[in-house]
Amino acid sequence: MRPGRQSGRWRRLICLAAAVGSLLGLTTVGGCVVVPQNRRKHLADPMMRFDDDGLEAHKRQKFYTTREAAAGGDGLPAGGGCGCQ
Amino acid sequence: MPLFAVLAMLAPPYQIDSVRFRFTQYDQRGVGYQSAAGPVGQPGSEWETVQQPQAEVVAHVGERITERLWIPLDVITAASPDHSVYGLPVGAAPPDAVTTASRVNTAGSLDTLTTYRWDRATELSFRAALHLEEPFESWSYGLGATRSFAEDNTVLGVSVNQVVDWFDHFNLDGRRNGRVNRSTTNVNATLTQVLSPYTVAVLSYGGTLQLGTLGNTWSSVLLSDGSRGEERLPRQRLRNALSLRVAEWLPWNGALKLYYRAYLDDWSAHAHTIEANLLQRVFRGLNVRAEYRVHWQTAVRFYTEAGDPLASGYRTADSDLAHFVAQTIGGTISWDLELGGRVRDVHVDLGYEHYFRSNNLTVDIATCGFGLMF
Repeated sequence: MRPGRQSGRWRRLICLAAAVGSLLGLTTVGGCVVVPQNRRKHLADPMMRFDDDGLEAHKRQKFYTTREAAAGGDGLPAGGGCGCQ
Repeated sequence: MPLFAVLAMLAPPYQIDSVRFRFTQYDQRGVGYQSAAGPVGQPGSEWETVQQPQAEVVAHVGERITERLWIPLDVITAASPDHSVYGLPVGAAPPDAVTTASRVNTAGSLDTLTTYRWDRATELSFRAALHLEEPFESWSYGLGATRSFAEDNTVLGVSVNQVVDWFDHFNLDGRRNGRVNRSTTNVNATLTQVLSPYTVAVLSYGGTLQLGTLGNTWSSVLLSDGSRGEERLPRQRLRNALSLRVAEWLPWNGALKLYYRAYLDDWSAHAHTIEANLLQRVFRGLNVRAEYRVHWQTAVRFYTEAGDPLASGYRTADSDLAHFVAQTIGGTISWDLELGGRVRDVHVDLGYEHYFRSNNLTVDIATCGFGLMF
């Protein structure tokens, strides 16, 4: 394997590890916060949902999975299940 | 018949929670080196249209079980543009298709999801799906569990999915050459965290291992001598994706949602995706949403636009595996009308998105949804 390719791979792995570490740290800090239920009315608003409905989520997930090399990380399989990918 | 009568009597009462329909139209234009529906020695047309109707019913059975039945269909023109007819102008409708199914190909799935509430904080889910199209069939299964902590401020979810595909192998001249298969195994871990009375974040990791025939078998590779050869892909792919989503409530009855994903796989593709959604409530029940998304990815290490005819290694000319930057702009208007009777709520939405990328692909997407909540 060429040294340039190897160093590029290590750089990407380090970046990924740093991203995982920092995000986990951020979430751990967030875990110290407990918001009581009676103060979460805005979070319960339908506009705050990440997926409006399952059909809309499927539309988006399939469109991007079949047209881009990168997929996954959204709780669903990244590839397979269709002749288009 | 007596057995069905007994089963019907023993079945617990169910109640339908919602019925939803969605219709989406995709109109795709552009060119790609994997398509031979174009002049000799140049990328071919990627023109296609897709009509995608979907229907979903959600019902609960007793106190603990929720069932979701979902049927998506895809009606696709020109799924595999023919390489054998050269000399046509790029952008013209492909005159033929490699597979006999794909002049107009209809694909459909039957997908079920059963969720069982184990206790106040724990849910278990089981998913089973069957997908059929003419040269292709697929089964998928999934198991998942979620558990909430700290007065529901933290929710941890894990899931595992297995997809098995069988499909016809086609030579580049369109002849069938037996059956091939593909396996996709996927694990996910998701952490949802309330950060403040106005902010919630979701951190998610997805790892996917694919084995078997990982291409559609009819994509071609443009060679340096002007001819075309078959695509050759590794038989294994390990994919990793890490995403972070944040939703922030805005004091003027709006919401801002931000999304970032980092992606890395062992085909040397890596990618970054950023998305922003801004939602605004115009008045009670009427919402508008504006969306912008940008996706940047590198090419896989064996991507080529002029393959060596004598080389025997991996090669692909698939424009989806190339280096590109893709952007999406769009918007949606939705209306939820509270009725208060047997039908509690009626939902209607209309949306449009424009997807365009730096390597000559453009897609216009129009969608409309209708739902009844009981």
